[in-house]
Amino acid sequence: MKDLARLRTSLKEEIEIALNGQVKTEAEASSKYLAMASWCDRNGYEKCAGYLYKQSEEEREHMMKIFKFISDMGGTAITPEVPAVQLEFPSFKNVFEVALENEIAVTLSVNRIVGKCRREDDYATESFMMGFVKEQMEEEENARRALELFDLIEETSTGKFVLDKEIAKIGNE
Amino acid sequence: MNQIKSYPYQIEELYRNTKGCTYQCDLTNRVVLQFGAYVSAFKFHDFRSFCQKVNSVNIHEMIFNLSDEYDFQAIQTPSCQQTYRLSLCELVQLRDLLNGTKFTLELNSLLHERIYSVNA
Ligand SMILES: [Fe+2]
Repeated sequence: MKDLARLRTSLKEEIEIALNGQVKTEAEASSKYLAMASWCDRNGYEKCAGYLYKQSEEEREHMMKIFKFISDMGGTAITPEVPAVQLEFPSFKNVFEVALENEIAVTLSVNRIVGKCRREDDYATESFMMGFVKEQMEEEENARRALELFDLIEETSTGKFVLDKEIAKIGNE
Repeated sequence: MNQIKSYPYQIEELYRNTKGCTYQCDLTNRVVLQFGAYVSAFKFHDFRSFCQKVNSVNIHEMIFNLSDEYDFQAIQTPSCQQTYRLSLCELVQLRDLLNGTKFTLELNSLLHERIYSVNA
Protein backbone atom coordinates (compact mmCIF):
# COMPACT_ATOMS: atom_id res chain seq x y z
CA MET A 1 0.00 0.00 0.00
CA LYS A 2 1.37 3.43 -0.97
CA ASP A 3 2.13 6.10 1.61
CA LEU A 4 -0.48 8.62 0.40
CA ALA A 5 0.35 11.28 3.00
CA ARG A 6 4.03 11.44 2.11
CA LEU A 7 3.37 11.38 -1.63
CA ARG A 8 1.19 14.43 -1.33
CA THR A 9 3.04 16.53 1.23
CA SER A 10 6.16 16.67 3.36
CA LEU A 11 4.27 18.47 6.13
CA LYS A 12 2.87 16.51 9.03
CA GLU A 13 -0.64 17.61 9.89
CA GLU A 14 0.44 19.08 13.24
CA ILE A 15 3.13 21.19 11.57
CA GLU A 16 0.72 22.37 8.88
CA ILE A 17 -1.73 23.50 11.55
CA ALA A 18 1.05 25.30 13.45
CA LEU A 19 2.24 27.07 10.29
CA ASN A 20 -1.29 28.17 9.44
CA GLY A 21 -1.49 29.49 12.99
CA GLN A 22 1.64 31.54 12.33
CA VAL A 23 0.12 32.89 9.10
CA LYS A 24 -2.73 34.21 11.23
CA THR A 25 -0.34 35.62 13.84
CA GLU A 26 1.58 37.55 11.16
CA ALA A 27 -1.65 38.85 9.62
CA GLU A 28 -2.76 40.08 13.03
CA ALA A 29 0.65 41.70 13.62
CA SER A 30 0.29 43.52 10.29
CA SER A 31 -3.17 44.73 11.26
CA LYS A 32 -1.95 45.90 14.69
CA TYR A 33 0.85 47.98 13.18
CA LEU A 34 -1.61 49.48 10.74
CA ALA A 35 -3.84 50.59 13.63
CA MET A 36 -0.81 52.11 15.37
CA ALA A 37 0.15 53.96 12.20
CA SER A 38 -3.34 55.37 12.00
CA TRP A 39 -3.19 56.52 15.64
CA CYS A 40 0.15 58.24 15.03
CA ASP A 41 -1.16 59.98 11.94
CA ARG A 42 -4.23 61.22 13.81
CA ASN A 43 -2.09 62.61 16.61
CA GLY A 44 0.52 64.39 14.54
CA TYR A 45 3.35 61.86 14.71
CA GLU A 46 3.80 61.78 10.99
CA LYS A 47 7.25 60.20 10.78
CA CYS A 48 6.35 57.39 13.15
CA ALA A 49 3.20 56.75 11.17
CA GLY A 50 5.38 56.14 8.11
CA TYR A 51 7.62 53.84 10.13
CA LEU A 52 4.66 51.82 11.37
CA TYR A 53 3.11 51.54 7.90
CA LYS A 54 6.38 50.00 6.80
CA GLN A 55 6.32 47.59 9.76
CA SER A 56 2.79 46.60 8.80
CA GLU A 57 3.89 45.80 5.27
CA GLU A 58 6.80 43.76 6.57
CA GLU A 59 4.48 41.65 8.68
CA ARG A 60 2.33 41.00 5.65
CA GLU A 61 5.42 39.87 3.77
CA HIS A 62 6.15 37.43 6.60
CA MET A 63 2.63 36.10 6.30
CA MET A 64 2.97 35.60 2.56
CA LYS A 65 6.31 33.85 2.97
CA ILE A 66 4.84 31.26 5.32
CA PHE A 67 1.67 30.98 3.23
CA LYS A 68 3.70 30.14 0.13
CA PHE A 69 5.92 27.74 2.06
CA ILE A 70 2.86 25.73 3.16
CA SER A 71 1.62 25.60 -0.43
CA ASP A 72 5.02 24.72 -1.85
CA MET A 73 5.36 21.84 0.60
CA GLY A 74 2.06 20.41 -0.63
CA GLY A 75 0.00 21.58 2.32
CA THR A 76 -3.21 23.57 2.46
CA ALA A 77 -2.58 27.25 3.21
CA ILE A 78 -5.56 28.88 4.86
CA THR A 79 -6.44 32.56 4.39
CA PRO A 80 -6.54 33.85 7.96
CA GLU A 81 -9.42 35.54 9.72
CA VAL A 82 -8.16 38.71 11.34
CA PRO A 83 -9.99 39.85 14.48
CA ALA A 84 -10.53 43.47 15.48
CA VAL A 85 -7.39 45.08 16.92
CA GLN A 86 -6.71 47.87 19.42
CA LEU A 87 -7.32 51.24 17.75
CA GLU A 88 -6.78 53.69 20.60
CA PHE A 89 -3.71 54.18 22.79
CA PRO A 90 -3.48 56.24 25.98
CA SER A 91 -0.15 57.81 24.97
CA PHE A 92 2.53 58.01 22.31
CA LYS A 93 4.84 55.91 24.45
CA ASN A 94 2.17 53.27 24.98
CA VAL A 95 2.06 52.61 21.23
CA PHE A 96 5.61 51.32 21.43
CA GLU A 97 5.06 49.45 24.67
CA VAL A 98 2.28 47.53 22.97
CA ALA A 99 4.48 47.03 19.89
CA LEU A 100 7.19 45.41 22.01
CA GLU A 101 4.67 43.16 23.76
CA ASN A 102 3.38 42.03 20.35
CA GLU A 103 6.86 41.27 19.07
CA ILE A 104 7.63 39.21 22.16
CA ALA A 105 4.44 37.22 21.61
CA VAL A 106 5.42 36.60 17.97
CA THR A 107 8.90 35.45 19.05
CA LEU A 108 7.39 32.95 21.48
CA SER A 109 5.09 31.58 18.83
CA VAL A 110 7.97 31.21 16.35
CA ASN A 111 9.99 29.39 19.01
CA ARG A 112 7.13 27.00 19.72
CA ILE A 113 7.02 26.02 16.05
CA VAL A 114 10.76 25.38 15.96
CA GLY A 115 10.34 23.14 19.04
CA LYS A 116 7.53 21.26 17.30
CA CYS A 117 9.65 20.79 14.17
CA ARG A 118 12.40 19.23 16.27
CA ARG A 119 10.01 16.87 18.01
CA GLU A 120 8.58 15.81 14.63
CA ASP A 121 11.99 15.50 12.93
CA ASP A 122 10.91 18.10 10.35
CA TYR A 123 14.27 19.76 9.63
CA ALA A 124 13.14 21.43 6.40
CA THR A 125 10.50 23.47 8.20
CA GLU A 126 12.91 24.09 11.07
CA SER A 127 15.49 25.62 8.78
CA PHE A 128 12.77 27.71 7.12
CA MET A 129 11.60 28.95 10.53
CA MET A 130 15.15 29.83 11.61
CA GLY A 131 14.88 32.82 9.26
CA PHE A 132 12.04 34.03 11.45
CA VAL A 133 13.98 33.42 14.66
CA LYS A 134 16.64 35.82 13.37
CA GLU A 135 14.04 38.28 12.13
CA GLN A 136 12.44 38.36 15.58
CA MET A 137 15.78 39.18 17.25
CA GLU A 138 15.92 42.32 15.09
CA GLU A 139 12.26 43.17 15.60
CA GLU A 140 12.57 42.98 19.37
CA GLU A 141 15.76 44.99 19.34
CA ASN A 142 14.08 47.74 17.32
CA ALA A 143 11.01 47.80 19.54
CA ARG A 144 13.25 48.09 22.63
CA ARG A 145 15.26 50.86 21.05
CA ALA A 146 12.08 52.88 20.54
CA LEU A 147 11.29 52.66 24.26
CA GLU A 148 14.89 53.51 25.10
CA LEU A 149 14.50 56.75 23.16
CA PHE A 150 11.60 57.68 25.43
CA ASP A 151 14.03 57.42 28.34
CA LEU A 152 16.60 59.60 26.59
CA ILE A 153 14.33 62.29 25.22
CA GLU A 154 11.89 64.02 27.52
CA GLU A 155 8.33 64.27 26.25
CA THR A 156 8.09 68.04 26.17
CA SER A 157 6.54 69.52 23.04
CA THR A 158 9.86 69.79 21.22
CA GLY A 159 10.82 66.43 22.76
CA LYS A 160 7.83 64.82 21.09
CA PHE A 161 8.84 66.31 17.79
CA VAL A 162 12.37 64.91 18.13
CA LEU A 163 11.07 61.52 19.32
CA ASP A 164 8.84 61.27 16.28
CA LYS A 165 11.83 61.86 14.00
CA GLU A 166 14.29 59.64 15.90
CA ILE A 167 12.01 56.62 16.26
CA ALA A 168 11.26 56.69 12.54
CA LYS A 169 15.01 56.30 11.88
CA ILE A 170 15.30 53.03 13.81
CA GLY A 171 16.66 50.18 11.75
CA ASN A 172 17.95 52.52 9.04
CA GLU A 173 21.22 53.50 10.65
CA MET B 1 -8.37 -6.38 -2.24
CA ASN B 2 -11.93 -5.14 -2.23
CA GLN B 3 -14.33 -3.46 -4.55
CA ILE B 4 -17.41 -1.37 -3.89
CA LYS B 5 -20.22 -1.05 -6.34
CA SER B 6 -20.01 2.64 -7.16
CA TYR B 7 -16.21 2.76 -7.30
CA PRO B 8 -14.53 1.16 -10.31
CA TYR B 9 -11.05 0.35 -9.00
CA GLN B 10 -9.49 -2.20 -6.70
CA ILE B 11 -9.09 -0.79 -3.22
CA GLU B 12 -7.64 -1.72 0.15
CA GLU B 13 -9.56 -1.35 3.38
CA LEU B 14 -8.23 1.19 5.87
CA TYR B 15 -10.84 1.22 8.63
CA ARG B 16 -14.37 0.01 9.23
CA ASN B 17 -17.16 0.59 11.73
CA THR B 18 -20.86 -0.30 11.84
CA LYS B 19 -21.88 2.62 9.66
CA GLY B 20 -19.24 2.65 6.97
CA CYS B 21 -15.80 1.86 5.69
CA THR B 22 -12.78 3.61 4.18
CA TYR B 23 -10.40 2.35 1.54
CA GLN B 24 -7.22 3.43 -0.15
CA CYS B 25 -6.98 3.37 -3.94
CA ASP B 26 -3.34 3.12 -5.04
CA LEU B 27 -4.23 3.61 -8.68
CA THR B 28 -5.76 7.06 -8.23
CA ASN B 29 -4.11 8.00 -4.89
CA ARG B 30 -7.52 8.58 -3.33
CA VAL B 31 -9.04 7.82 0.02
CA VAL B 32 -12.47 6.35 -0.65
CA LEU B 33 -15.15 6.83 1.98
CA GLN B 34 -18.34 4.82 2.07
CA PHE B 35 -20.68 6.03 4.81
CA GLY B 36 -24.33 4.99 4.79
CA ALA B 37 -25.52 5.88 1.32
CA TYR B 38 -22.65 8.28 0.62
CA VAL B 39 -19.56 7.35 -1.37
CA SER B 40 -16.76 9.91 -1.89
CA ALA B 41 -13.22 9.68 -3.24
CA PHE B 42 -10.89 12.26 -1.71
CA LYS B 43 -7.50 13.51 -2.77
CA PHE B 44 -5.26 13.25 0.26
CA HIS B 45 -5.27 16.93 1.25
CA ASP B 46 -9.03 17.11 0.70
CA PHE B 47 -9.41 14.17 3.05
CA ARG B 48 -7.41 16.06 5.67
CA SER B 49 -9.57 19.15 5.41
CA PHE B 50 -12.76 17.09 5.42
CA CYS B 51 -11.61 15.43 8.67
CA GLN B 52 -10.89 18.85 10.15
CA LYS B 53 -14.37 20.06 9.18
CA VAL B 54 -16.07 17.03 10.69
CA ASN B 55 -13.98 17.24 13.86
CA SER B 56 -14.70 20.94 14.31
CA VAL B 57 -18.51 20.58 14.54
CA ASN B 58 -19.67 21.62 17.99
CA ILE B 59 -21.37 18.48 19.29
CA HIS B 60 -22.49 20.14 22.52
CA GLU B 61 -24.44 22.69 20.51
CA MET B 62 -26.16 19.89 18.65
CA ILE B 63 -27.12 18.16 21.88
CA PHE B 64 -28.27 21.14 23.91
CA ASN B 65 -29.67 23.52 21.33
CA LEU B 66 -33.30 22.57 20.78
CA SER B 67 -33.98 24.57 17.63
CA ASP B 68 -34.53 22.59 14.43
CA GLU B 69 -31.39 23.66 12.61
CA TYR B 70 -29.26 21.90 15.22
CA ASP B 71 -30.87 18.49 14.60
CA PHE B 72 -28.79 17.97 11.50
CA GLN B 73 -25.41 19.13 10.36
CA ALA B 74 -24.63 19.75 6.69
CA ILE B 75 -20.99 19.26 5.74
CA GLN B 76 -19.70 19.85 2.24
CA THR B 77 -16.89 17.81 0.79
CA PRO B 78 -13.91 20.05 -0.11
CA SER B 79 -14.48 19.69 -3.84
CA CYS B 80 -18.10 20.72 -3.12
CA GLN B 81 -19.68 17.96 -5.13
CA GLN B 82 -21.47 16.46 -2.18
CA THR B 83 -23.12 17.54 1.01
CA TYR B 84 -23.27 15.15 3.91
CA ARG B 85 -26.42 15.64 5.97
CA LEU B 86 -25.73 14.13 9.36
CA SER B 87 -27.71 13.54 12.53
CA LEU B 88 -25.87 13.73 15.84
CA CYS B 89 -25.49 9.96 15.94
CA GLU B 90 -24.20 9.81 12.38
CA LEU B 91 -21.76 12.61 13.05
CA VAL B 92 -20.24 10.70 15.94
CA GLN B 93 -19.97 7.57 13.82
CA LEU B 94 -18.41 9.49 10.92
CA ARG B 95 -15.88 11.03 13.30
CA ASP B 96 -14.95 7.60 14.56
CA LEU B 97 -14.57 6.32 11.02
CA LEU B 98 -12.45 9.27 9.86
CA ASN B 99 -10.22 9.33 12.90
CA GLY B 100 -9.70 5.58 12.68
CA THR B 101 -8.76 6.06 9.04
CA LYS B 102 -6.31 8.81 9.92
CA PHE B 103 -4.71 6.45 12.41
CA THR B 104 -4.26 3.76 9.76
CA LEU B 105 -2.80 6.27 7.30
CA GLU B 106 -0.36 7.55 9.92
CA LEU B 107 0.61 4.02 10.86
CA ASN B 108 1.21 3.28 7.18
CA SER B 109 3.44 6.39 6.90
CA LEU B 110 5.37 5.25 9.94
CA LEU B 111 5.87 1.77 8.50
CA HIS B 112 7.13 3.28 5.26
CA GLU B 113 9.53 5.53 7.14
CA ARG B 114 10.87 3.04 9.66
CA ILE B 115 10.66 -0.33 7.91
CA TYR B 116 10.15 -0.30 4.16
CA SER B 117 12.70 2.41 3.41
CA VAL B 118 15.38 1.38 5.92
CA ASN B 119 17.29 -0.81 3.45
CA ALA B 120 16.55 1.34 0.46
FE1 LIG C 1 6.69 39.07 11.62
